[in-house]
Formats: sequence, structure tokens, C-alpha cells
Amino acid sequence: MENEKLFEITAYTENQVGLLSSIAGIFTRRSMNIEKLLVYPSRINGIHKFKITTRTTETLCRAAVQQIEKKVDVVKAFYEIDNERSDRERDIVIAFLEERERNNR
Amino acid sequence: MSEKAGKKITGAEILLESLIAQGVETIFGYPGGQIMPVYDKLYDYQDKLHHILVRHEQGAIHAAQGYARVKGKPAFVIVTSGPGATNVITGVADAMIDSTPVVVIAGQVSNAALGTDAFQETDLIGLTTPITKWAHQVRRPEDIAEAVARAAYIAGSGRPGPVVLDLTKDAQVGLAEYVEAKCSFIRSYVPVPEPSEESVEEAARMIDEARRPFVVFGQGITHSGAEAELAAFLDKGDIPAGSTLLGLSALKSDDPHYLGMVGMHGNLAPNAMTQECDLLIAVGMRFDDRVTGTVNTYAKQAKKIHIDIDASEINKNIKVDLGILGDAKEVLTRLTEKIRPRMRMGWKAASEYCRSIETEKVIDPEINPESGMIKPGEVIARIAESCDGKAIVVTDVGQNQMLAARYSRFSQGRSLLSSGGLGTMGFGLPAAIGAKTAAPDRQVCLFVGDGGLQMTIQELGTIMQEGTGVKIVLLNNNWLGNVRQWQQLFFGKRYSATRMINPDFEKIAQAYGLDIATVDDRKDLAPAIARMFADDKPFILNVHVEEEDNVFPMVPPGKSVNEIMLNSKEWFEYGK
Repeated sequence: MENEKLFEITAYTENQVGLLSSIAGIFTRRSMNIEKLLVYPSRINGIHKFKITTRTTETLCRAAVQQIEKKVDVVKAFYEIDNERSDRERDIVIAFLEERERNNR
Repeated sequence: MSEKAGKKITGAEILLESLIAQGVETIFGYPGGQIMPVYDKLYDYQDKLHHILVRHEQGAIHAAQGYARVKGKPAFVIVTSGPGATNVITGVADAMIDSTPVVVIAGQVSNAALGTDAFQETDLIGLTTPITKWAHQVRRPEDIAEAVARAAYIAGSGRPGPVVLDLTKDAQVGLAEYVEAKCSFIRSYVPVPEPSEESVEEAARMIDEARRPFVVFGQGITHSGAEAELAAFLDKGDIPAGSTLLGLSALKSDDPHYLGMVGMHGNLAPNAMTQECDLLIAVGMRFDDRVTGTVNTYAKQAKKIHIDIDASEINKNIKVDLGILGDAKEVLTRLTEKIRPRMRMGWKAASEYCRSIETEKVIDPEINPESGMIKPGEVIARIAESCDGKAIVVTDVGQNQMLAARYSRFSQGRSLLSSGGLGTMGFGLPAAIGAKTAAPDRQVCLFVGDGGLQMTIQELGTIMQEGTGVKIVLLNNNWLGNVRQWQQLFFGKRYSATRMINPDFEKIAQAYGLDIATVDDRKDLAPAIARMFADDKPFILNVHVEEEDNVFPMVPPGKSVNEIMLNSKEWFEYGK
């Protein structure tokens, strides 16, 4: 059984009405939960950027990225494992909270 | 340049001019409230656009699918909003999963009424987004020409698929200048990826090293027009090949390398050799579960190469050692140049044993029975002999489909139309109308069951009105046969809701003014077939076939493709 990890998917797209629901549909179909979603104009003129964080297996994540990139209005889609960075961020937050707890005693 | 250029015309007229600019000659459709401006303008275009009035919008989309698959280019459907639009959805989903280029143009309420639950309003874009290659709403007349050009380009290019254009009332009645639009480039869309030289070289090396290579090809060969290139590739490498359901007719039935159809009701040899080969080369196919059986054991012993135009298919269902992205014709041409000519007599001989078992245990009893009721396979085989591989074979879904796929013969491409991925009962009759409209000079033979025929039987009205010379072969067993077969084999013969009490098909034919022959007795079959083909008129051949006939061989669900039922008692387990 393949391990679930946190992935960050990035898609560069045209600014097309309905694309958000079209991309969201790919996740719904495979019962993948979107943990986080950001849509904003990219630094490339006229191109929008989706950042989607999802917890899933790498096989499913790759399939979803391929399905996203297959959309006519999607320019490119990528994924990276978000675990390390977010684990680090989480560790920092937990350490901070633990220190506060200690100081509170 | 059209004479309409330079002056303002309605969006409805821009639409029709845009269709003509795309080379459209035939439209399948059904009018209604929110598309009336288009239909009104169509009145002036009757000499340029042949509109085929179906009896239900589902008939329009399936007819368009049949037309598109025979022509190899996008077919157009026009329907109204709301129920008109929702009635095409089954066909849109079918076209998506079977990669069929169709463009649906649907009416929509006025811009101001969008989102207000207006009469016959439905969110068509929302409904069809998951089952289209592209779904787009047009709200202004000046955007129509560009949208139609884009729709046709997207539907027909790369891996084809359905496109929906939702045309609001404002877009139809508003005035704009008609500027002819062409579309052959969209910056975010790469329909035909360029195969990498390294991957082609690596594939050629793997093929040269393989001792027992085996090819499985699908509809990608047909889309790419790579029929000759496939045959040349198989010939040079002396490689045996099996076809998926939708790949049928891409290779001639008598090609020396052709072993038959793979999958659940496929032939023994290609299924067995899938589990025996040391290299599986998949071309223009998508490893559907009806092809692979259980994926855990599918060709596990073999290295695998997957050639496909759609990147999202590589490693989707079956992990492969090498994926080659590209158009089948180009990849096969380049591969054929690079591989060494070979003779693989011993490997190919393995198929002979399978073929002899299948002939003795399955084929002969089905197509050459000496007594008893007429077998459905027998009807198909007699018609195949009569047509000599030249007919376009259209099937419905179920036993009729599997038997038609197994026992038809093909001598040219684009000759098998079937609802493969979605398995849409009711597809056959309208698809046959579309096929005959696309190729009036070819014989079009529909094989359909009594269940499937009644799902879209209203299209007999279209045949009556258009005089479409479709030959309808009704394999009539008074059952929903395929479900009944599963109930018999896997549900303890509990025949739940599969018995059909049918109407008098003679009277139905009579009501529509169609010729019909009903056959019960084997001796009457050949004369009835001869009568059916005696002229170009539509004809129904109603054959009362063996009621509880089963389709074999069968790879039962959850089994490997070399664990095959030959009948309800005997199994064929090759290499075990």
C-alpha cells in the first residue's frame, strides 16, 4: 500500500471561466480532498496560477496532475511533495506552542 | 470570403455561416424554444445545410457519433436548452470515453435570465464540464465564429472528444459583423506531442531484443489513420497482434499477424499471448478493465511499451517500462524504420493451438449449429459472409455487441461502430443512421437486441423520414441477454427484471412503412438475408434466436485474461 503524503500541485492556466470547477471535478472524481487552494494571477502576463494542496498517494497525485494538464485551458501542471516543508513549518509551530506551555507553568 | 462579410447579421446566421466555413454539410438536431432563432435562419440555409430531424435528442448525438466515426471529422448537433440539452448528455459522455469528435450547440436562455431558474434553463456548462473536452458559453454574437472554429479544432484534434457550446438567446438574436474564423492553434493546448527520439530508439531496441513481442492496438490507429503503418510494422517485426473492441477493423481480419480481439469476450489466442509475451506493445489504447481483466496479473511477465497521444493514459491503469507520447502513425513509421526484420515462427505458432480449441469449443457450436434454434452468432456469421468484410458494422450494447465484434469480418478501416467505454444501450440505431448518412454508398448493418432497440426505437421515424437505408438485424431473444447471462453465471440464475415481453415488431415496422422479415427457422435465414440486401432501402431482419444463448469465451470479472470460460462448465487456463 502506497503511503499518503501531502502534495502541492501547481497549474499555470488561461484565465477561463469555469476552469476552477473543472479542475475541482478531477479531485472529486477520485475522492481526493483539497486541503488548500489558491488561485491568483501568475507573474507571467495573462496566465493564472493554481496552487492546490492535497493529501494522497504519489500515483493518484501524478494521475490528477496529468488530468489537469490535459485540460485545454491549462498550460502546465506540476507537483511536489509538500511534506518536508510543511513538516518543518509544523515542527516550528509545535515547538513554539510547547515552549509557550512551558513558560506558562 | 463570404458575401456576408462587412455587414451586420444575427448571431444565428453567423453560426450557420461558421458551420459552413467549417465544411459542415449535415446537422443532427431537434428544435425548441431557446434555439428558435437558429432554426428560423436554417430555413434560409436548407440548400447548404442538411438538417436531420431526429425523434429524441439522444438520437441526434448518437447519430452524430456514428457520422463522425465514419467520416473521421467532427459532427454537429443542434438542440434547445434545458431538456433538449440534458437529453444529449448520455451521448456526450459516450463520446468522451470513446474519443469521438462531436460538437453540441445548445440554445440557452437570455443573458439576463441566466441563473434565475428561467423556463428551460439548465447549467449546461456545469453539467457537461466533466464529460467534455471543452464546454463553453457564448453570450455575444461577435464571439460565435471564433467559438465554432475553436470547438471544431478542439473536438477533432489530438485525442478527439466532445465539445459543448452553450449559445444564449442574446448571442443568437444580437447583430454583429461576420468575420470568418479559423483555429489551428491554442497556446495552452498541445494535441499532438512530438515523440522523443530517445524513446523511439529505446522502443526499437526493446523490440529487437524481445523473443515474444505482442501488440495490442486500439482506436488510436483509426484516429491517426495509421492502418497501413500498423500492418507494415507488424510485418517487418513479424509480430502478432490483438485488437481492442474499438480498434476492430483498423487491421484487416485476414492480416496474417492478426489474432483477433482481446478482453472479456475476446479470442483465446490474443488473451493467452498477453500472458505469455515477453514484450507487450500497446498502441492507441487505454487498458480498459474489459481489456485487462484483473490488473494485478495483466501481462505481469512482460516488459511494456505504451504508445499514446494522451499523456494522462501513460501509467494510468497499467505501469509501463516505456511510454511514447505521440501520434500512432508517426511513432509506428519511425519504429518500423528502426527495428530489424525478423521471423518469429515459433512464437506465432503458439496461437494455433488456442485457435483450434476456440474453433472446436466455442466458434463452431455458435456459428455452425446443426439443430435447435438459430444462434445469434450464426446470424452475424452468415451476414459477414454475405458482406465479405465490406459493410460498416454498427452494434448496440450487450450480447449482440460482443457477438458482432467476434464474428464480423473487416476488409477496411472505420467499419466497426460500437459504444465501448460507456456501454450505452440504445446507441446502435441512431449511430447506424449517422453512419449511413456519412457513407451512403456503403452497406451499414446494425446488430441490436430487443432491449437496446426499444431504447431508441423512436428513431425508426427518422429512418422513415430520411429514407436512410440502414439494415437492422434484430437478434431477438426476449431477454436482456447480457444481464441474464451474468445472472445465470454469477447470481444463481435469479433472473431479476431481465425477461422482456416485446411488441409485435412486424406491426411496428408496418407503422413506420419499413420492410421487415421475421425468421424463426434456419432454412429461412439465407433467403431473408438475400432479401434484406436486395435493394438500398431500410430493412428490419427480426430473427428469433436461441433465448438463453451465452457469449463465450468469457474472462469472468476479477480473473486474469488467461483464465477463460469456454462454456458454463469448461475452462481454458493457458500456461497454468
